[in-house]
Amino acid sequence: MSVSVPEPLRYADRPEWNDVAPVEQYENVNPLAPIFYTNEYKDATDYFRGIIKTGEKSQRVLQLTEHIIRLNPAHYTAWQYRYETLLAIEANLEDELRLMDELAITYLKTYQVWHHRRLLMLQIRKPAPELVFIARTFQVDPKNYHTWSYRQWLLAYFNDANLWIGELDFVEELLNDDIRNNSAWHHRFFTVWQSGVREGEEDRERVLRRELIYVKQSISLAPNNASAWNYLRGILDHNSIPYQKMITFVQPYTLLLDEQVADLVDLENPPPSKSAHLPCASAIEFLADIYEAEGGNSMLKATELWKSLGNEHDISRKKYWEYRIREGLRAIQT
Amino acid sequence: MTKDFNLPPLARLAHAGHARRCLSGLPDSQIELDSGRMAVAFYCLGALDLLKMLQDKVSMTDRESWQEWIWEQHTRGKYGSGFRPSPFMTVSSEVERTTSYTDYDTPHIIMTYTALLTLAILRDDFSQLDKQGILLLLKACQREDGSFSTIPGGGETDLRTLYCAFVIAHLLDDWSTINLQNAFSFIASCRSYEGGYGQSAHCEANGGTTYIAMAAMELAPVSTTPLTALEKRKTIEWALHNQLESGGFCGRTNKLADACYCFWIGGSLKILGAGDLVDSRSLASFLASCQFRFGGIAKAPGEHPDPYHTYLSLATLSMFPPPVYENDASGSSWIFDPLDPLINARQETADWARKYIAIKH
Ligand SMILES: [Zn+2]
Repeated sequence: MSVSVPEPLRYADRPEWNDVAPVEQYENVNPLAPIFYTNEYKDATDYFRGIIKTGEKSQRVLQLTEHIIRLNPAHYTAWQYRYETLLAIEANLEDELRLMDELAITYLKTYQVWHHRRLLMLQIRKPAPELVFIARTFQVDPKNYHTWSYRQWLLAYFNDANLWIGELDFVEELLNDDIRNNSAWHHRFFTVWQSGVREGEEDRERVLRRELIYVKQSISLAPNNASAWNYLRGILDHNSIPYQKMITFVQPYTLLLDEQVADLVDLENPPPSKSAHLPCASAIEFLADIYEAEGGNSMLKATELWKSLGNEHDISRKKYWEYRIREGLRAIQT
Repeated sequence: MTKDFNLPPLARLAHAGHARRCLSGLPDSQIELDSGRMAVAFYCLGALDLLKMLQDKVSMTDRESWQEWIWEQHTRGKYGSGFRPSPFMTVSSEVERTTSYTDYDTPHIIMTYTALLTLAILRDDFSQLDKQGILLLLKACQREDGSFSTIPGGGETDLRTLYCAFVIAHLLDDWSTINLQNAFSFIASCRSYEGGYGQSAHCEANGGTTYIAMAAMELAPVSTTPLTALEKRKTIEWALHNQLESGGFCGRTNKLADACYCFWIGGSLKILGAGDLVDSRSLASFLASCQFRFGGIAKAPGEHPDPYHTYLSLATLSMFPPPVYENDASGSSWIFDPLDPLINARQETADWARKYIAIKH
């Protein structure tokens, strides 16, 4: 059995549209980068221009704009007019949101899908179910920029304590799936240190301890993970803690596996896992930063580490490490 | 890491051919570009300009009629003047075209930026440009939080539009309708703990928007940049760490290399004065591997090419000419004129744009 998709009926052939005069797109004789439209798209947009001319806002305009959006989800005027129509005819916006659930997944990477959703949410003002929906889309693409930015907007804009409750667990789930998902690490920072800071969490010391343990554990499982190192640096910077405080933790990661000293159970300073690829360039860089900040004689230790990065552990950034060496040496000469 | 591999030739002629073909027409599969055609025109003509093949590949008649097409997108109305992306919402009657636009066919800030650069590539004299009207459009599009919307009264607002508004003000040499203080605080709100910038407040650091933040702050007529030395260093470090072993840059931490991020992050480094820390040879080798055998450059090896990645790859090479050695086949194919990294055009084109678009001209 073969299934053939019938060509949709032209608007020109639909009696319910015969009161609309289609308006063709105006093109110069020699257009720049013209797109060879399908007949279906041309027909639908001819009627859309016709509708705009009369200013009609009705149920059938919703059908027409949905049709255009499905053909070209980046047609921002179709979205704009659709939104105005929804408001003008007082359409049920929750129904619209359900339709958007499908379109958002089909056109995950199109900006307009998420912009429209944001406009709807400003009217509906029920952000909680949105978080559940977003979690579902992350099963398709857990790093989609638009989706993350929509989630961050929802949380920061509505900023309701209940909304934030599950956020940290949500991030941890995503990080359990993929420890290198930088979007999730970023969201963790946003939740723990920025907009997500809630009343009752004023005890930042406790939070800081928890986060340091978390990020160190994560590094111990997978040391070569720039996202985790960036998070570590991020929380130290944010809390004005000198990198020096991490020296006991960092040092083992700068050594080869067989140079590691005997296992001691130390929750504050978890050692690299047995399967780790060592030494870890991010750790060497971190340790060099510690020595650089100490200045004086430690600067020479820093330059040695930069040399090892440029020559051995991070060769593709050789020019950068040479620059750090020059800058470091200049600093101790002045 | 430099001399131990050969650089294949850059297929200049094939890439020019790709750009030329896209200017003549795009298949229906590219329908999502319908409301952004002016940008496609910019990438294609820009690629020919960088390759210095505009004269060879495009006849005088075509160049003139394309200029005319662009000017047909220049519209005036209650929010000021500017360019629309294409005639995708334009009705056919001559009378309607000459009266002011409706709310559904307004000029667009990003398209106005690309139209101005494209006209400069075509060496237009800008005598038809409603400069005062464009200043009004900038004002109409700036929001209270300092950001800019793509179209007056609505549309997307994020850092991209702010950058385009800044380039336009820079070319007009008139910042009187922009609230710089609010714009700067919007930029600052996009800074992430990683040292890069996100698309809007609270968002993850991304190469594209980091370039935009760097270029915008550098374009603005302020005596000192608002970044501390430490912040700059952090941004440089983040940017350099996004260059991967392949030589290509990824746009966010732990993502894959993509040709367009070679431009966005490379450009950020250039603006920050750290361009010479980039390994330009491995960068060129990555871009070489993104070449499509029938012309055009793709985002990554094995993918299909498009005007956006083709232009940005060539613009990257204009900023980071690789060192070439005797054993490289066609070393000369990698030589380009310098690029103005702030407005993203070949130096000579950028100078032309500044000269003819400035209000005092
Ligand atoms: Zn790309």
